[in-house]
Amino acid sequence: MVPRGADANAATRHPLARLAHALAVLAGVILLWHLLTAVFGVISPARFPTPAEVAASLQQIVVEGYSNARLHEHVLRSVLLVTMGFVVASSFGVALGLAMGASRKVEAFVNPIFLLLRPIPPLAWIPLAIVWLGLGDAAKIMVIFVAAFVPSVINSYTGVRQIDRPIFEASAMLDVTGWRYWREVLIPGALPSIFTGLRLSLQASWTTLVAAELIGAVAGLGQILNQAAQDIYPAMIVVGMVSVALSGWLMTLGLAWIEHRAMPWRVR
Amino acid sequence: MLEPRLDPARFLALSAAGAASFFLFWSAAALAGLTSREFLPAPWDVAARFSQLAVEPFAGFTLFQHLLSSFQRFAFGFVLAVAIGIPLGLLMAWFRWIDRIVAPVFEAVRFIAPIAWVPFAALWFGTGIGGPVLIIFMGAFPAVLINTYRGAKNVERKYIEASQMLGASSWRSMTEVLLPAAVPSIVAGLRISAGLGWQSLVGAELIVASSGVGYLMVKGQAAVSTATVMSGMIAIGVVGLLIDVALRRVQQLIETRRGL
Amino acid sequence: MAIIRFDAVQRTFSQGGKDFVALKDIDFEVQDREFVAIVGPSGCGKTTCMRMAAGLEHPTGGHVYVDRDEVTKPGPDRAVVFQAFALFPWKTVWDNIEFGLVSLGIDAAERKRRIEQHIELMGLGGYEQAYPHQLSGGMQQRVAIARAYVLDPKVLLMDEPFGALDAQTRVVMQEELVRLARTHPRTVLFITHAVEEAVYLADRIVVMSRRPGTIREIVDVKSIRVAEGWDQHKRIEDVMDLPSFVHLRTHVWKLLREQQAGELH
Repeated sequence: MVPRGADANAATRHPLARLAHALAVLAGVILLWHLLTAVFGVISPARFPTPAEVAASLQQIVVEGYSNARLHEHVLRSVLLVTMGFVVASSFGVALGLAMGASRKVEAFVNPIFLLLRPIPPLAWIPLAIVWLGLGDAAKIMVIFVAAFVPSVINSYTGVRQIDRPIFEASAMLDVTGWRYWREVLIPGALPSIFTGLRLSLQASWTTLVAAELIGAVAGLGQILNQAAQDIYPAMIVVGMVSVALSGWLMTLGLAWIEHRAMPWRVR
Repeated sequence: MLEPRLDPARFLALSAAGAASFFLFWSAAALAGLTSREFLPAPWDVAARFSQLAVEPFAGFTLFQHLLSSFQRFAFGFVLAVAIGIPLGLLMAWFRWIDRIVAPVFEAVRFIAPIAWVPFAALWFGTGIGGPVLIIFMGAFPAVLINTYRGAKNVERKYIEASQMLGASSWRSMTEVLLPAAVPSIVAGLRISAGLGWQSLVGAELIVASSGVGYLMVKGQAAVSTATVMSGMIAIGVVGLLIDVALRRVQQLIETRRGL
Repeated sequence: MAIIRFDAVQRTFSQGGKDFVALKDIDFEVQDREFVAIVGPSGCGKTTCMRMAAGLEHPTGGHVYVDRDEVTKPGPDRAVVFQAFALFPWKTVWDNIEFGLVSLGIDAAERKRRIEQHIELMGLGGYEQAYPHQLSGGMQQRVAIARAYVLDPKVLLMDEPFGALDAQTRVVMQEELVRLARTHPRTVLFITHAVEEAVYLADRIVVMSRRPGTIREIVDVKSIRVAEGWDQHKRIEDVMDLPSFVHLRTHVWKLLREQQAGELH
């Protein structure tokens, strides 16, 4: 494990080299996949599609469409729903979390309700949402709201609580009160934690939406999965899964970009 | 925090007030008669339904039988995730070539939400136990692997050097040095992955099950019985909490034993 | 017959495109059952020399031999006592000492015998089932020394082993190490920056300078120690009072001071 002479692994630490390496491994995996399914038939096509079939399905959904819409329309729909639910939920959640962090009284009052509702996983709210709001978009937004709300609250709360005491003392000395106190002391101090919460909220939103769409939807990424399952169309299932993964990943990247812009003082 | 701590009595009083307001509001909404009591039950309706479900079967079984069914699936998937995740994490931490091969694949697959595996779960396992177990595994596995890997990778250099100097084989290095050193990280990962696994279970049971608490809720929803659905939610919440408390206890025990 | 041999050893790092010479022309031998200390200012590369003998680091030029074999990787034949103890916190004292013996393939009965012998040797009786965090620094280092000794290694490499201990414990450990070295002599390479420690413990002292790390002078201690009868005195403070000790110590100090002065100009 200990290399001879100078650091033998310096070359592979370079980011471009690492990316090339990762791509090489993935290419290897796809090759193996192809061999196992199309060439040697070790895995039957009824259980898992060949790479070629997946490529064909991808082309189909991008060009002609599948399950009532083309891929970008599905993606847009899902992204829109997630964004709406996420933005509303995290706004309320961050506000409540900050309030709970800043005021012991608010914390005391809200805490029991929170403790009661927190252990219930977001997905468990789906049947309730369907009972109350039907199978449409409203139910989905309700569930996304629940999923995104909790992490925002918790992380904003801890964000405030972990601000160094001297900062509070300095702000008292400088007589910072009211709106300024919030804008220039509390929020910037809690911002790293807030963003952690936002990241978790976003992930939870995505997972919950896909689940909700799997159960019943007109369009959206989860709907692709649902339809493909019903049609017993494995290749399209794979397309759906990869789309879910990529969309989620891209949204997380977008959030990271915002985070980077919002906190320029942070040492990476 | 500049705000002084509230004295315990005051804190308790405010908390009680908060809880009371919640239930009051809920009861008022239910009693207002805007919708049927089936649609929006009062808190005591839910409690009654919960007790009823404990003895009377609904959707095939009583509440506890459904819970048992759910827990079994969870246990299978979780144990599988741990049985594969810990050894693989250790191997990846010790053998760089294993890390290089597995890591890119893992990173790519990790981003697929566990619930997205439901169609394949249905395709491969029908409504058998394999379906939910697959999804629970997908939910629980990443945290176990990552925490094991990180814990092992972050072992202090001096312990690795000591074990090399003492002539330990790869096997002994992994089992007698990496693994014990990584235990705090692994146990923290177990808590996270148990939570994620339990959540994934719920999602799976909403779609690919014929028993279990998720299934109970779906059937309740179909019958427009909100009280049934809420009973399911409460059961899920309570069990999830118990699992977390149990693992937190394990974590504490390990920490005291190690003198941390 | 030499046991540890440094043969024209060089060690160069490259950092940001520039070459940085850490060690230059290191040539010396540690004879069989000889106790050699390396003394030098921090950054002179003395620890690096020891780590190369251990196989934890490698020279970029020249070779390090132990018992005529070139050193390529670490092993129980070159036991190391680390400054930070490096005892496994999750193992008891007994299991820590046993760890290396298992690698050597020694059977259980023989292991038991050896461990018991060394527990007694290092004064660890009663602590066999204790965990490292329950022990003081001095006790932990005793376990580390026992762990190294029990392997019956060809050479013993000690990296500022008493550096992390408080002054009183340090003195006690030095006395014990001297007692051990006289009754159970081994080939030892001992790294320290404390001149008095080196003069008290060693047969010869390699004095190093830094930038780049080279050997300044090799000072012979044993002949003076034997001639002046230091070992007749049981306590370290009595030895350190002797004129011959003071003279030797001052000589080594001066060697170190001269390079410091040289650097300041």
